[in-house]
Amino acid sequence: MESRGYIEAFTPADGKAIAELRGVSKRFGDVLAASDLNLTITEGEFLSFLGPSGCGKTTALRMLAGFETPTEGDVLLDGEVVNALEAHHRPVNMVFQQYALFPHMTVAQNIGYGLRQRRPRLPKAQIAEKVDKTLDIVQLGGFEDRKIWEMSGGQQQRVALARAIINEPKLLLLDEPMAALDRKLRKEMQIELQDLQRQLGITFVLVTHDQEEALSMSDRICIMREGRIVQVGSPQELYDRPNSKYVADFVGTSNFFDGTVVEQPGPLTSVRLSNGMIMRGTPTEEMSNSEDVSVSVRPEQMTLQRQGEGLTVEVRNRIFLGEHTEYLVNHETLGDFLVLSPRQSEQTEGAFTVGDTAFVSWEDSAALILDRN
Amino acid sequence: MTARTRNWLLLAPAGAWFLVMLIIPLTVVFIFSFGERAPAGGVVPAFTFEQYANLPARWAAFKNTMTLAPIGTLSALLIAYPLAYYLAVKSSPKWKTILLVLVIVPFWTSILIRSYAWIFLLGGRGIPALLDWVGIEGVRLINTPFAVLIGIIYGYLPLMVFPIFVSLDKLDKRLLEASSDLGAKPWRTFLQITLPLSIPGIATGCMLVFILLMGEYLIPALLGGGKVFFVGNALVDLFLQSRNWAYGSAVAVTLVVVMLIAVTVYMRLITRLGASREDVSIM
Ligand SMILES: Nc1ncnc2c1ncn2[C@@H]1O[C@H](COP(=O)(O)OP(=O)(O)OP(=O)(O)O)[C@@H](O)[C@H]1O
Ligand SMILES: [Mg+2]
Repeated sequence: MESRGYIEAFTPADGKAIAELRGVSKRFGDVLAASDLNLTITEGEFLSFLGPSGCGKTTALRMLAGFETPTEGDVLLDGEVVNALEAHHRPVNMVFQQYALFPHMTVAQNIGYGLRQRRPRLPKAQIAEKVDKTLDIVQLGGFEDRKIWEMSGGQQQRVALARAIINEPKLLLLDEPMAALDRKLRKEMQIELQDLQRQLGITFVLVTHDQEEALSMSDRICIMREGRIVQVGSPQELYDRPNSKYVADFVGTSNFFDGTVVEQPGPLTSVRLSNGMIMRGTPTEEMSNSEDVSVSVRPEQMTLQRQGEGLTVEVRNRIFLGEHTEYLVNHETLGDFLVLSPRQSEQTEGAFTVGDTAFVSWEDSAALILDRN
Repeated sequence: MTARTRNWLLLAPAGAWFLVMLIIPLTVVFIFSFGERAPAGGVVPAFTFEQYANLPARWAAFKNTMTLAPIGTLSALLIAYPLAYYLAVKSSPKWKTILLVLVIVPFWTSILIRSYAWIFLLGGRGIPALLDWVGIEGVRLINTPFAVLIGIIYGYLPLMVFPIFVSLDKLDKRLLEASSDLGAKPWRTFLQITLPLSIPGIATGCMLVFILLMGEYLIPALLGGGKVFFVGNALVDLFLQSRNWAYGSAVAVTLVVVMLIAVTVYMRLITRLGASREDVSIM
């Protein structure tokens, strides 16, 4: 998190729970879209739901917004169960994936919509003033009288954002808000969104299937799979201590060697691979002998040398990435895997070329023994 | 072939149709309306305003048309909107198709036959007999403006339902969720989002029904029994029965003018309501 330039690092323990899912399940006919979700969302944090398509991210978000009622379990906002509380009574706002802006209203009318619904009514002048202020926050000053269809995709996204934040919600839900933007604009918006979140202090819950986006923006990430929450943690925790092969694969890149546990003498566990080879690594949970596991080694934790110990491999491909060089190497029985070599070691060892024979090694403790499912 | 000639070619069939079926007859009728009645029927060319001076004799037909057409349009709208809303928003996809078909089914038989059914229902042995039986006596329905109104609503309802259904059906449901998310209660969402976005459908439906109603003659003829007649009935009478073409033409020209004025006023109203001119697809 230091890399994000935080003055004070955020930890969930800092604040109070703003929202909570307690054993929440949601069934659509035969489809179990969400299954036993347990999650506490802390005031002021930036939390992301990350997972592949169809894993239930939107469903989770829609239950927080009040568009879906859980089949089982409780949704809490500010400590109160709100399962059946309709969306228009919840202090929660959502930025929709396709923005869902009102086509028959101007930009300013869209943004002021939430304030106009308040009862008792707010004075017109006060609404106009807040709309102006919010337009400035999202850098759309001067666009107030434009029609929605006169705005570009990126501008529409800002309008959608402004329309939500003007209400100062306790929770801002964003369902893949950047999916429709091109890469460059998406990067810009990611940074703006982070700035905005810090500036406003609103709790953000973002849905995405882009791991890079989740890693760069979130305080915490909630990884989902087939309707279940697999792991929740800071980007760093998930990267360094994934609790399963699924998470290690989803967060960053890793090499996996499948096998079964044979021995657990001390802090390290031994695993017999399918080719008979024994690998050692740090277990991530209680394990029993002969359990099916996967040994995970990140490419940057491997060293590639011309001579020495380790696996004998043949270099298959080389991609120069500036600070690092990525090698695709092949082992006779273990197959292909990736090694990331820092520039420094390139300079001492000299660059490998395709076809070279080399030796790959790593610290046993850097290898993680993960649940394979 | 230049784009220009291609455009002209595309327009040619419609243009020819328009000329032969609309412009020429209208011009003829316009010229006739200044003529005089020939002794054996038909028209003698002349230039006199005599026919127009005679218009008040047909005042009742104009009055009936100009009251029952707007009232019929409005009533059809009030009944069609909730129906279209239910079909588009509330019904499940499976029922939607079935119900839509049910709305069209009446079109499978001629309006003539269906109106005869109404003659029976509204006649002495129909609903009045039933009312008699429960103790409400002396109700006369057939050959009243009310009977004509019933016939109008019945006959034109599908024409009103469809455009409204289409505009409600293509309404993005996420807009309704967004409105609710921003704190609007359901009825405020309806007033601020659903209704304004269905104005194109309402406008099209009303225009369609109103224009057709202005020229209606079958329903008043059957359910009004010669007591409640429209301009259309007057025209049939003048052209086919009394063969007074000159006077008939003056009545027809007046009807066209009245219709043009009504439609212009209506367009003004709709544009002011926020729908753009292009939204009214029939124009
Ligand atoms: N209204 C619904 N009716 C029936 N099934 C639904 C409904 N909404 C979602 N589902 C199903 O629930 C599962 C989870 O859907 P959800 O939209 O939450 O996925 P997601 O993680 O948001 O996916 P994506 O990244 O593609 O948006 C899917 O299998 C989906 O088909
Ligand atoms: Mg989704």
